Amino acid sequence: MRIKFDQVNKDYGSISALKDFTLDVEPGEFIFIVGHSGAGKSTILKLILNQINPSSGEVMIDDIYLNNGKKEEIDHIRKKIGVIFQDYQLITDKTVEENIGICLDIVEFPKDQILSKIDDVIKKVDLQDRRNLFPAQLSGGELQRAALARALAVEPRIILADEPTGNLDMDNSWNLIKLLKDINENEKTTIIMTTHDMSIIDSLNKRVIKLENGEMMEDKKEIKTEKKAKKNISSKKE
Amino acid sequence: MTILKTTWHHIRRSPFQSMVAIIAMIACFFAISFYAIISDGLSTVIKYFETKPEVTIFLKDGLDTNAIQTIQKDLASYPNVKETKYISKEKALSIYKEQNKDNPMLTEMVTASILPASFEIIVSDPKVLEQIYQNYSSKTNIVDEVIYQKDVIKSLLEWTEIIKRIGISIALIIGSISFLTVFTIIGMKVTNRKEEIRISRLLGASAFYVKKPFLLEGMIYGVTGALVGSLLSFIIITILRSKINSFFDPIIFITNKPSFYLLVLSSEILLGLILGFVASWIGARRYIKF
Repeated sequence: MRIKFDQVNKDYGSISALKDFTLDVEPGEFIFIVGHSGAGKSTILKLILNQINPSSGEVMIDDIYLNNGKKEEIDHIRKKIGVIFQDYQLITDKTVEENIGICLDIVEFPKDQILSKIDDVIKKVDLQDRRNLFPAQLSGGELQRAALARALAVEPRIILADEPTGNLDMDNSWNLIKLLKDINENEKTTIIMTTHDMSIIDSLNKRVIKLENGEMMEDKKEIKTEKKAKKNISSKKE
Repeated sequence: MTILKTTWHHIRRSPFQSMVAIIAMIACFFAISFYAIISDGLSTVIKYFETKPEVTIFLKDGLDTNAIQTIQKDLASYPNVKETKYISKEKALSIYKEQNKDNPMLTEMVTASILPASFEIIVSDPKVLEQIYQNYSSKTNIVDEVIYQKDVIKSLLEWTEIIKRIGISIALIIGSISFLTVFTIIGMKVTNRKEEIRISRLLGASAFYVKKPFLLEGMIYGVTGALVGSLLSFIIITILRSKINSFFDPIIFITNKPSFYLLVLSSEILLGLILGFVASWIGARRYIKF
C-alpha cells in the first residue's frame, strides 16, 4: 500500500505538530521516523490511521483520501494496518488471547483458523505462559509484545510502530527489530516505526525521516547494502 | 460466537445495571400479559351477551298471523340484526315449565293463555337496540312491553372502554419506562466501554460491529423480560382462574386455551425483541460518536 502526505499541517490549538509535511512511502518500504518528544512522530502515525484529521493538506493511502474518505473505506484501510501503540492500547478487561482474538474477528479472519493464528503469534512474541493474563498483570515489556502480537496477527499490509522498543530490554528490542525486518523482507509489508534509539537506526540500513518541531529536517534514503544491516543485527544480538 | 461472548461479558461486568433493565422489562410485559388476558375475558363477556336475546318484545294478545309476520319483517329490516325469534304462547309455556321444573306448584296453575307471545331480537351491534326499543315502546296497540337490558349492556360497554383505556395507558407508561431504562443503561454501558470501542474502531471495526453486542444485549433484555413477565402473569392467572371464572359463571372469563397463551407469549417475545433492539439502537447511536 502506498502512503502519501501532501503538504500536511496539523495544529493543536496554537501548537503546530506538523508543518508542511510531504512524504511518499512506497509499498514494502521500511521507514524510521526519528525526532525528540513533541517533534510530530506520533502525529504522523495518527494521521495514517485517520485517528486525527490534518488541519490542511492531504493524506492518501493508495487512491483513498483519508480526510474525505467514506467510513467504510477508512475501516477497510484500518483492517490492513497493524498498529503497535506507544501506550499499547490493549483492552483492559480482556486477556492477551482475547485481545488478539477480537482483532482477528474485526478483520474477519476465518473463524476456524483464529485459534491457530493466536497460537502462532503468541509463540512469535514469546508470551505462551502469559496468554491468559489481563493487561494489568503484565510488565511493560510483555504489554509491548502483546501489542506486537495483535498487530502481527492480522497479517497487515502496513505496520505502524510507535516507539515499540521503548519498554523492552536489549534482547527483546533486537528480537522485535529482527521480526519486523523479516516481515518487511518476506511479506513486503510496509513498516513505519518511530524511535529514539539511534543504535537501532544505525544498525539497519533503512530510510530515515528526521523531524524537528513538526518539520522534516532530513529524508535519508536506504542504501541498498543489505549484508551490512544483517551483520549489524547479528552482532548486536551477540 | 464472539458477539455472544462479548455481550455476555458486558452483562456480567455490570450485573446490577442488567438486572434493572430486565426488571423494567419484566414489569412491562407482566402488565401487558395481564391486560391481554383481561381484554380476552371482556370480549368473551361481550360475546356472551351478544349471543343472548338482547331485546324482548312482548306482544298484545289476539294478534293474527299477518300482524306477527309484519312485525317480524320490520324487525329483520333493522341494520345489524342477527336474528329475530318468535316465541309463541305455547313455546313460552314450555320454556316456563322447563325453567321451573323443580317447582311443580309454579307450573300447575299456569296455562299458555296467560303467557304473552314475544319476539327475541339478537343484534351484532348493541347500538341498534336503543332504536328498536324506542320504536316499539310507542306501539302500544300491538306491544304489551319491551324489555331491554339497556343498563347492563351500556355499563358493560362503558366498563370495557374504560378498562381498555386504562390497560393501554398502563402498558404505554410502563413500556416507555422500560424503553427509557434500557436506553439509559445501554448508554451507560457504552460510556463505560468507550475505550474498548475506540480501540476496536482504530483496529478497523465498523460502527455496526461495535454496536452489535449492545444491540444483542438490548434484545436479550427484551426477550428475557417478555418471557419472565408473561410466564409470571400466566402463573398468577392460573392460580386465580377458578375463583375468577366462578364469579363470572357461566362465562369463562379466563380462558384455558393453550393456543391463546402461546399467541400472547410469542407476540410478547417479538415485541420484547423489537423494544430491546430499538432502545439499545438509539442508546448506542447516541453515545457511539466515533
